[in-house]
Amino acid sequence: MSPEAPDDESNQSLWFVVAAPLCWAAHFLVSYATVAVWCERYAGRDGSLYQARVAVAAYTAAALGGIGLIALAAWRRYQHGGGTEAFDADTPLGRHRFIGSATLLLSALSAVATAYSALTVVFIRDCH
Amino acid sequence: MSQEPPDLEPLAEAPSDEVQRGQRERLLAAWKTPTGWRSWSAVNNTSIGRWYMMAAFCFFLFGGVLALLMRIQLAVPNNTFLSAERYNQVFTMHGTVMMFLFAIPMFEAFSIFVLPQMLGARDLPFPRLSAFGFWSYALGGTFFCASLLFNAAPRGGWFMYPPLTTRYQPGIGADFWLLGLSFIEVAAIAAAVELIVGVLKCRPPGMRLNLIPLYAWYLLVAAAMILFAFPPVIAGSLLMEVERAFDWPFFDTARGGDPLLWQHLFWLFGHPEVYVIFLPSVAIVAMIVPTVARRAIVGYSWIVLAAVGTGFLSFGLWVHHMFTTGLPGISLGLFSAASEAVAIPTGIQLFCFIATLAAGKVSRSVPMLFVFGGLASFVMGGLTGVMVALAPFDFQAHDTFFIVGHLHYVLIGGSIFPVVGGIYYFYPLFDGKLLSDKLGRATFWLMFTGFHVTFLPMHLTGLRGMPRRVFTFAPGLGFDRANLVSTVGAFILAAGVLVFVWDLLRSKKTQPTCARNPWNSGSLEWLQEMPDKPWGVRSIPEIDRRYPLWDQPNLMRDVDEGRFFLPDAEEGKRETLVTSVIDARPVQCLRVPGPSWIALYAAFFTGGAFITSTFHWWKAALASSVLALGAILYWLWTGTAIIPEKETKDVGLGVTLPLYVSGPASVGWWAMFITMLGDATAFVCLVFGYFYYWTIHQDFARAAAQGPGLLWPLLGGGALVASWALTLLARRANRRDRAALFYASMLSAVALAIAGSCALIAGPSRTGLDPTRHVYPAIVWMLVAWTVFHVGLGVVMQLYCVARRAAGRMTARHDIDAANVSLYWHFTALTAFVTVAVIAGFPRVA
Amino acid sequence: MCSPAARSRTLLAALALGAAACRGPQSALDPAGRGADRIATLFTIMAVGAAVVWLAMVALTVFAVRVHAAPRVERRTALFILGGGALVPTVVLTALLVYGLALLPELVAPAPAGSLRVAVTGEQWWWRVRYPGPDGRTVELANEVHLPLGQAADLRLDSADVIHSFWIPSLGGKLDMFPGRTSRLALWPTRAGRYRGVCAEYCGASHALMAFAVVVEPRAALDRWLAHQSEPARPPTTPLGARGAALFLADGCGACHAVRGTPAAGTLGPDLTHVGSRHGLGAATLPNDAGTFARWITHPESLKPGVHMPAFGMLPPADVRALAAYLEELQ
Repeated sequence: MSPEAPDDESNQSLWFVVAAPLCWAAHFLVSYATVAVWCERYAGRDGSLYQARVAVAAYTAAALGGIGLIALAAWRRYQHGGGTEAFDADTPLGRHRFIGSATLLLSALSAVATAYSALTVVFIRDCH
Repeated sequence: MSQEPPDLEPLAEAPSDEVQRGQRERLLAAWKTPTGWRSWSAVNNTSIGRWYMMAAFCFFLFGGVLALLMRIQLAVPNNTFLSAERYNQVFTMHGTVMMFLFAIPMFEAFSIFVLPQMLGARDLPFPRLSAFGFWSYALGGTFFCASLLFNAAPRGGWFMYPPLTTRYQPGIGADFWLLGLSFIEVAAIAAAVELIVGVLKCRPPGMRLNLIPLYAWYLLVAAAMILFAFPPVIAGSLLMEVERAFDWPFFDTARGGDPLLWQHLFWLFGHPEVYVIFLPSVAIVAMIVPTVARRAIVGYSWIVLAAVGTGFLSFGLWVHHMFTTGLPGISLGLFSAASEAVAIPTGIQLFCFIATLAAGKVSRSVPMLFVFGGLASFVMGGLTGVMVALAPFDFQAHDTFFIVGHLHYVLIGGSIFPVVGGIYYFYPLFDGKLLSDKLGRATFWLMFTGFHVTFLPMHLTGLRGMPRRVFTFAPGLGFDRANLVSTVGAFILAAGVLVFVWDLLRSKKTQPTCARNPWNSGSLEWLQEMPDKPWGVRSIPEIDRRYPLWDQPNLMRDVDEGRFFLPDAEEGKRETLVTSVIDARPVQCLRVPGPSWIALYAAFFTGGAFITSTFHWWKAALASSVLALGAILYWLWTGTAIIPEKETKDVGLGVTLPLYVSGPASVGWWAMFITMLGDATAFVCLVFGYFYYWTIHQDFARAAAQGPGLLWPLLGGGALVASWALTLLARRANRRDRAALFYASMLSAVALAIAGSCALIAGPSRTGLDPTRHVYPAIVWMLVAWTVFHVGLGVVMQLYCVARRAAGRMTARHDIDAANVSLYWHFTALTAFVTVAVIAGFPRVA
Repeated sequence: MCSPAARSRTLLAALALGAAACRGPQSALDPAGRGADRIATLFTIMAVGAAVVWLAMVALTVFAVRVHAAPRVERRTALFILGGGALVPTVVLTALLVYGLALLPELVAPAPAGSLRVAVTGEQWWWRVRYPGPDGRTVELANEVHLPLGQAADLRLDSADVIHSFWIPSLGGKLDMFPGRTSRLALWPTRAGRYRGVCAEYCGASHALMAFAVVVEPRAALDRWLAHQSEPARPPTTPLGARGAALFLADGCGACHAVRGTPAAGTLGPDLTHVGSRHGLGAATLPNDAGTFARWITHPESLKPGVHMPAFGMLPPADVRALAAYLEELQ
């Protein structure tokens, strides 16, 4: 049974729906912790943010990559079975496509939110 | 199971009238609400939900009166209507009452009342827990409000910033806040656990994830948010109360503490809290809009995305309440970014509603009026929210009346209007009557006008430089006229609320009972008979559609004639169905408890412990805690994990379900798991405190050189992990029915747990760490105390399992207790491990 | 007076807020400093944008209620939600975020080296102000800040007790003052005049009565003022004042207050060396005259609830008059 098979409920999980926002949350927390600790303990309040910005850029690449994979998996679910079954159909396939679409939309939102966080290091270059 | 069984259809033929009559009588007997003075022992969701809502509404009126007092004081410059201290008490109480005693409890109360109806369930899975939560809340809230009468109310603002509240405001006002509210927060978490389990496990058969009412999605998100948002403020309150009572310097800069830590913990709660209030109100809108548009909601997945997305993003906003504390610009930027991003899902929801209205044919009604008025106001609050989310603008707007205007637009527009609209809409479910259309319109226009007249000018007063939380202002600075206008508006708003109260209170005896499903809605709660029956639904339907009353032909008839599940109560027990999380396949017939006083006693003793602690009557507090523990143990012993008289039961339509399941299949296991997630969050906040001090203060690492050493913490941690392993072994032994091994391993687990706790305490005490000297020993002691307290509870649970088995209430097959206790010990072992790693390990690597 | 730029902003603000007028010594909409100016422009743009968005939403809703679309509109409604609910807001918010983030570094940057350094400590419920004097020694004042026109001022902010917040709406954003930590705020006044600063963080009973006077003047004028403030107090010239000076020491006022040039050297309360020259009393909430001095000495609690200064209501009225005369003479 492939993991995308809709019929088997035991393969399904609500965790999949929240995976993309969890990527955003992880990216956000790690970025915040990095810049806060960097400025307070290492660079000082007049210091440069350079290394921390590089780190945030790396986190962003990782997070967007993760969100992209989740979106891809969600897209497959969304397209499952020809992609015609209605989301409100009383069938495993309808539920499967619904989870796919909700996850896909959440991935898009999470990607935007992650990009917003990353914008910060584009504009702010020091610890002031 | 990989093959989807076909959908079950209702019985083709209705049971005979005689059979139906017998079923009704037995159901009525099982679900009868106690009468007379005994009615206070009721635990059914409809009773508890009603009381809960009435109490929340009373607190709302109280908070409103406080608001009017403030507006009278600020009507003219240099007014002397209230003294400075009185005003400071009043604004503190207004904020606290509205947030903690009205907004959150109102949504929980309403959900307790209506969720089972929406899910076609007979009750929530833990009725006595709801009752416990309600009584805790009613007691804690009354106690808290009473402080104002004795002029002992807190006056540190609802945000309670130290060091003002820890060292500069003598008296017990702050203790009222810290202890009174912690008690209520615990009740709120209890309700959240209940609602999460309700949505996930108590849906009607066939109600797959893609078919559940939007209200339930919103509720799931909001309840999950409570679970992660309340623990930080509980952890913060714990730190602050310990500083106030025992002088541990968590927020005292002179001894290495930091007042900003409180702000982090408070707003880590405070901002999600706004969305916890907002989401359930949008949920009400999401139920009203399809009904008035007479069509299914447009963009169901979009709304689910928006609800879940908002829930997450709202945890990345907390620092926007701290934009002016002087944090580095980069931190401000990150939180600015998340604060802007959260506007996106909000916009999506609004467009879904507009699209639904456009695609449907809108009928005009009072609830719709409130929905429109609320959304129009909320959008303004949202737009000013987008403004203040930008750190540069917030540098000016922060802590001014601009923010007062903004937050009331969000909370009144986004919450009060939809809630009042929701009361007009759902009132037939409470009373079997409709509220007055004429009074409803009057209420709306008075409230709407008064609201804008009050709060719109505040944006201007704020930008002209009027700070918040001022008991008076000087004339001639440009605030005079706008403040007078706000005061006039506040009284118009109050007049609207009065008309509403009159509409609720006026006698409706002569008014005819309204028709069933008076708004012609499509969702299940309108199955309810008018006036309602205590059993909730006559039989639990199989669901095939999002709007079953619209799209499933003859549903109401089939439900009423008992053609679906559980049409009878043969054993005279209260029963409801438990289903699977994803596709809502029936998995268990759950017996829920009936009326009982025990929840009330437990709440009063728990409350007693908190109340006596407020006055620092430690002996009374200890006695009350012991009584509370006793009451809760009695409750668990007599009321939970009861071994049924038979293994399975035929629930109708040829489905036979077990009456007793344990482990992840049982609702109790889920409740424990969810509770422990919240508990672990509070622990994480304490650990965050440790690392926060390390980040901020260079001398923190030096202080760590003194203790607690490696030996004792490692010994303690090792013993506790061993105790955990033995608890798991005991569970396995019980399942294999090897009694001797079970008793031996469980009792050794108890011994190891006690030994481990002692070793853990020995660490800081043998290295001479004095928690009042510096924040480093204080936070180490706090982590140790937290762990030891949890181990203590774990020991009680281990002994409870031993006693249950000895008494024959737990067997190899019936092992709910052992399963839940091992789950608890997973978390406890993790707590012990993290504590040891932090206090003993981190100083060595840092 | 409003500048022309501020006036056009006012018109727009009036559009957004339904009320006109930006003037005021404490108005963020009447900027007299670089930071306040940037923020007022940002606000104007956002207020206009918000008004447009709000009107569009209301118009859409009204339209949606009136229209009854054909039953088969699923595809179009999906596009409507995607475009109106997701894409347009995302574009607008991205633009706004970029604007806000681009503005941020300038607003949080410290003042350039060599700027006039002013240390301000928030105390319940007044402001202790310290300038570097002409001779290199620190000059302590209270409740009044003079800033140089057209130059940056480097404010060093902290607190002696609870959290306060230093805010001069006309000049720029606020910054909180914490005990045990010094924060830096840079202000660039661009228009000379007198303004009013206030405490923006709730700090206890008399939070509402914690303001200070702000004077923006050319650097030369500021230096003259500072030179005057750094001098010791001039001996009183009237007999009543002289009696007050003696009473000031005899009644123990010097335990908390300093009057430089006299034995009074207390540091708990505000420095009174030139108190008569200040733009207001009681943290810029009361007029600076003999009557107010007298009331303050006898009943401080009635003027500032919770005040830490004990009441001297037991002093004979003649003594109070003398003390008030003395303080008024401390120009």
